[in-house]
Amino acid sequence: MTSDAAAAVHPKARVDWGALRRRFLSFLLDWMIWGYIAYGVMYFLNAYWWTVPLERFYTTLTLPSWGWPLAILGTLEMAVWSRNLGRSLGLRAFGYEVWGEDAAPTPGQRVRRALLWHLSVLPLGAGLWSSPERPWHDRLAGTELRLLPSPAPKRRKAFLSQWGIMALLLVVLTIWLGWLIIKIDLGVLIRRGDEGARIWLEMLRPDFRYFVRPDPVFELRNLSFSILDMAVVTLFMALLSTILGATFAFPLSFLGARNVMGFNSIGWLVYFVMRGLFNIFRSIDTMLWAVIFAVWVLWGSPLAGVLALTVHTIAALGKLYSEQVEGLDPGPVEAVAAAGGSRIEVIRYAVIPQVAPSFWAFTLYRWDINVRMSTVIALVGGGGIGDLLFYYKNQGDWPKVGAVVMVIVAIVWAMDYISGRLRERIA
Amino acid sequence: MGRYPDGLVRQPPRWLDRRAIADALVLRLRGAGQRLAIVFLDLLAIGILWVLVSYIISWHFHHVIAYSLVPWWAFGLGVVEAAALWESFGRSLGHRVARRELLTRGGTFPNFSQRLRHFLGWHLFVLPLVGLFFDPPLHERLSGLSPRSASMEGRTPVPWWRTSSGLFVAIFLCVGIAAAVSVTMDKESLTRLFTQAGRTVKFWKALFSPDTSILLPSIRDLLVTIFMAVIATSFAVVVAVPLSFLAARNLMRGPIGRPIYTVLRGAMSIMRSIEPIVWAIIFLVWVTARRAPFAGVLALWVHSIADLTKLYAERLESIDPGLVEAIASTGAGRLQVLRYAVVPQIINPYISFTLYRWDINIRMATVVGVVGGGGIGQRLYFYLKNLAWQQAGTVMILIVILVWAIDYLSARLRAKLA
Repeated sequence: MTSDAAAAVHPKARVDWGALRRRFLSFLLDWMIWGYIAYGVMYFLNAYWWTVPLERFYTTLTLPSWGWPLAILGTLEMAVWSRNLGRSLGLRAFGYEVWGEDAAPTPGQRVRRALLWHLSVLPLGAGLWSSPERPWHDRLAGTELRLLPSPAPKRRKAFLSQWGIMALLLVVLTIWLGWLIIKIDLGVLIRRGDEGARIWLEMLRPDFRYFVRPDPVFELRNLSFSILDMAVVTLFMALLSTILGATFAFPLSFLGARNVMGFNSIGWLVYFVMRGLFNIFRSIDTMLWAVIFAVWVLWGSPLAGVLALTVHTIAALGKLYSEQVEGLDPGPVEAVAAAGGSRIEVIRYAVIPQVAPSFWAFTLYRWDINVRMSTVIALVGGGGIGDLLFYYKNQGDWPKVGAVVMVIVAIVWAMDYISGRLRERIA
Repeated sequence: MGRYPDGLVRQPPRWLDRRAIADALVLRLRGAGQRLAIVFLDLLAIGILWVLVSYIISWHFHHVIAYSLVPWWAFGLGVVEAAALWESFGRSLGHRVARRELLTRGGTFPNFSQRLRHFLGWHLFVLPLVGLFFDPPLHERLSGLSPRSASMEGRTPVPWWRTSSGLFVAIFLCVGIAAAVSVTMDKESLTRLFTQAGRTVKFWKALFSPDTSILLPSIRDLLVTIFMAVIATSFAVVVAVPLSFLAARNLMRGPIGRPIYTVLRGAMSIMRSIEPIVWAIIFLVWVTARRAPFAGVLALWVHSIADLTKLYAERLESIDPGLVEAIASTGAGRLQVLRYAVVPQIINPYISFTLYRWDINIRMATVVGVVGGGGIGQRLYFYLKNLAWQQAGTVMILIVILVWAIDYLSARLRAKLA
């Protein structure tokens, strides 16, 4: 029997995998929420009542050997009951609701559904596999999981419903947990207020003596530099890395565009490789690239910073550019091709005019980011004005730090303004 | 004028009429303003070009940084002369940007003697600033030339890159890139770039052979990083939402509102231009390195407030005023207008911006760790500094996975909200 014939005999025989996946994800979300709550409770027990050192606790999650199955099963149970006795956050997030026969389910039905769930799903999902449309527990309890809200006469307000309370609980739990994990101590801001005030006051009386004159104290590879010198170096680093990055990203972006490459299997392979590389290189931050290049070339050399910025720029711009190429209007391309244009001419007269404005806008945006990054990349050996900043900070010379910070603010501000204005002009 | 008896009506002389004087003054100032802007742009362009050239020469030959190879008066004189020459004998960058061109009264191209007169007269009248108080300025009267909006009638358009401005831009770009290359790339690091690639082999290898023994403590630090981002973002939202209403131009009108708007926007802009890393340094000294994650959170918090306030306020500025008026016209109070006209328009973008910022904060939290701001970044930096490549690679993999996951999650959620 062919699949068409099967579909004709049993109209519902085709399994809706998307729906099953959503159901599974919704359940997983509930389970994870309860796991998170359990983790939080354990954390609080440790923090406030037990004497296990906190560090060791959340390093190893010091549960006894029987604790793990207990935690897993306990959170599973909580997830099941919360899903059946009300509208849990997992159900709400995916828009699900448990229905009776065209009405809200009775409490009896809800309890039956929860109990039957164990028989139907726990034995390796037997009930699910045998009838994915309406699993055993739903059939036997006379209920159904639907994507619409149930026609209950009175719908509860969000903050009275189970999912609303749960969401609120999660927010409170997260902030409380975060407070403990980060060891937030607002008191220290006041207790060390003198120190803080001293730094701020000294920074607000900036020392611009070495703005143009090289500072004899600061030496980089046997040369003294002034603030202005380092600011210019920083600007050049940003400029060079943006130009280099855009130059490399432009051709690569066509290799990472589905509508350009997706015609044969080799093209698809190139597309996936390019996109994967863009994503991986993009998710390693510029600062981390700078460490790698600082080790490779020279610690504190502007070249390391330029290379780090360039690599990240290629990846980021490549992704943005190729998304633009994918959004290309095929009309002009076909028109030029129909008029007998070669591949180069198609690109010259149909593709580039379409993508040029957004390419310029992205490049300017990236330039803005690169200026920001290049001011601090020196921390990890990338060179630039950050060298001065961190040197003075280590010396505890806060008036000079203030001067450098002010120069940085001026640079970033000016670049932000210029690039914003230019982008407006382009758009 | 009613004071004069009939028959003796005399108009007061035109040079005494106060309004006429004011009008004439405004006209002259406006004309002078534009001419000054053109001159200023040319001076700036030529000055920067000279600075770049001397920068390259001094760095290349003497290995010091000098912004001008000649004394400052020679520098000033040279720049002024060059600008005057350029404006008189070509179409300068300033003219180009202001869409002006030096033409005669009749709109024809000037001949050489007119250009020469313009050039010489410029020295006589503009340098002592005398000529600018006349309209047209005296040197333009003398030569019969003035910057007019260039008309395309009866001539074939010359592409701008074939004019003197185009040439200038080309030279400027070449010199700029040359300066950038010469200052950022020295021979030593360039040779190392091509010979020392082996130093990173260990690192790339480590990416494929992670050290599983540090997995659990690393995940703990990863948790700290995530919580840093969450806490910083949520507390920033609490501050940024009220501030955004005070920083929205369309809501803050009047003598009290406008200064608040200006001050807030300025402050936010300054706070935003300081990278979280710099904030972290300041806060680390304040709260001591013992509470590293706290300092990191404070740094992210401050930067997030500034960023979110700007994003939120810009969104508020673009709300549809029709809806607000519609609700207000039904006699609703201020709060009701806010509840039924403003909030529905901004709630989804606000959540979307917050998710976006959270996404950024996760990435920033790893970076802030590098200066000692706690979390996974601190661990990574520790390994990198001690050349523990295998461990560093492991941590790097974890960070990539985290950033990737959060990026995906936040993009999906934002797509749903849009």
